[in-house]
Amino acid sequence: MRISKMRYFFPIGLFIALFLDGVLSQVFAGTMFTPSLAIESRIVLLWIVMAVCFGKIDHIILWTVLAGLVFDLYYTGIIGAFVVIMPLIVYLTKLMYRFFTPSFIVVLLIYLIDITVATVVFYWINLLIGFTNVSMAGFIGLSLGSTLAYNLAVFVLLYFPLQRFFESFSR
Amino acid sequence: MRGWDLVVQPFSYDTAFVFMEEIMQKFFFNKRLIIVLVVLIISFVLIAFSITVRNNKATPPLVQQVGNDAAGVVDRVVAYPAKGLKGAFSSFSDLMNTYSENQRLKGQVDSLAVQKVTNQTLEKENQKLKQQLKLNKTLTDYETISASVLTRSPSAWQNQVIISKGSLSGIKKNAAVMSKKGLVGRVTEVNKTNSKVELLSTTNDSANRFATQVMTKKNKVVNGLITGYNGDSNYLIMGQITVKTGMEKGDRVITSGLGGNSPKGLYVGTVAKVEEDDYGLASKVYVKPAADFTDLDVVTVAKRVD
Repeated sequence: MRISKMRYFFPIGLFIALFLDGVLSQVFAGTMFTPSLAIESRIVLLWIVMAVCFGKIDHIILWTVLAGLVFDLYYTGIIGAFVVIMPLIVYLTKLMYRFFTPSFIVVLLIYLIDITVATVVFYWINLLIGFTNVSMAGFIGLSLGSTLAYNLAVFVLLYFPLQRFFESFSR
Repeated sequence: MRGWDLVVQPFSYDTAFVFMEEIMQKFFFNKRLIIVLVVLIISFVLIAFSITVRNNKATPPLVQQVGNDAAGVVDRVVAYPAKGLKGAFSSFSDLMNTYSENQRLKGQVDSLAVQKVTNQTLEKENQKLKQQLKLNKTLTDYETISASVLTRSPSAWQNQVIISKGSLSGIKKNAAVMSKKGLVGRVTEVNKTNSKVELLSTTNDSANRFATQVMTKKNKVVNGLITGYNGDSNYLIMGQITVKTGMEKGDRVITSGLGGNSPKGLYVGTVAKVEEDDYGLASKVYVKPAADFTDLDVVTVAKRVD
């Protein structure tokens, strides 16, 4: 059996995307974290969603759990948040994707739902452990709206390159 | 007869099929429910565990440290081109306004030389006086460890950056961290080669507080604690004030060195306004931080020597 190159490309890209989020947050911190908005960069979720939709990847749940663990360890120090959110996103995407034929708009909508779920769950966990005391209304205005807008822009930029990438290497 | 066959036959098949499926679904639903519950419980246990470690232990468990160090190495590789790109952009914009800045700075340099000489003589005098008093270490003594900022948590709730030095370079938990302009935060987690710094702009309830003091114009000192951060106005809130009177807008705020984590004399910011507490008993002082928490490239960790 021929071994797909995706076996190597998927995890490498996953971790590059994971660390790229942090680097972008650091480089553009002045515009991404202001009193009126807080943008959470989620390129890693875009990578996962595109992989689920257009690629054939083995052990995707395992890899996402690992990436979530690294996220929790390295970025927040609170283990248990993204380790659950990331596989949840894979499951959700697979669940929704089953009912549609793939197109730009469909994947866009799935991605936006995923981002919303991930952001809300992450906010809820942080509220629970006292890391924030922002109200639900404050959260929607401060973080959710701007996060969706930013990730939408990233999606539009990276959709076609990533689609081509996953389709050509998953054959 | 034939018509009856056609109608009923598929129907009876169907009921059997639906019945079977119902059983199967029930089984799978239960299985899925159990998986979800187990995952949730594991997640809660992990969160509780990591908060306990964060609040009570000097360093996280070895496994966690190794994971963090490995992640740090990969992060340095990924960050390298992005940092280079940022450097190119900022040096270009620097080049654009170099001339006007140069004119402005020329004026300041002369006065700086005078100040520097005065500073040096005072420092020497201070050292001699300390020797005479046999006072070897005071709260103002500290060693500095400079580190570069690797990355920032892509999270709206953790105002956290990761710096490139760890316990191998002598960084301790709870040490104060400064940018070039002033105090920015404290170390919350120390790994071997990197550590996490929680910025002052965090709203975390359990964040460790800095003991600070206001130096008033009449040479009086008002002690207090940084108790919070107001995100809307970008002011630090200083509470637990010892005396109310005498503070004015523009008074400088420094760390007081009390409490054992930070040395004395790190610049925090200036007083923006003084306000009555919610109960009218003590006053709250709003401090305009000197450092910009979103523009950190290189930071200095202050390590107390006593």
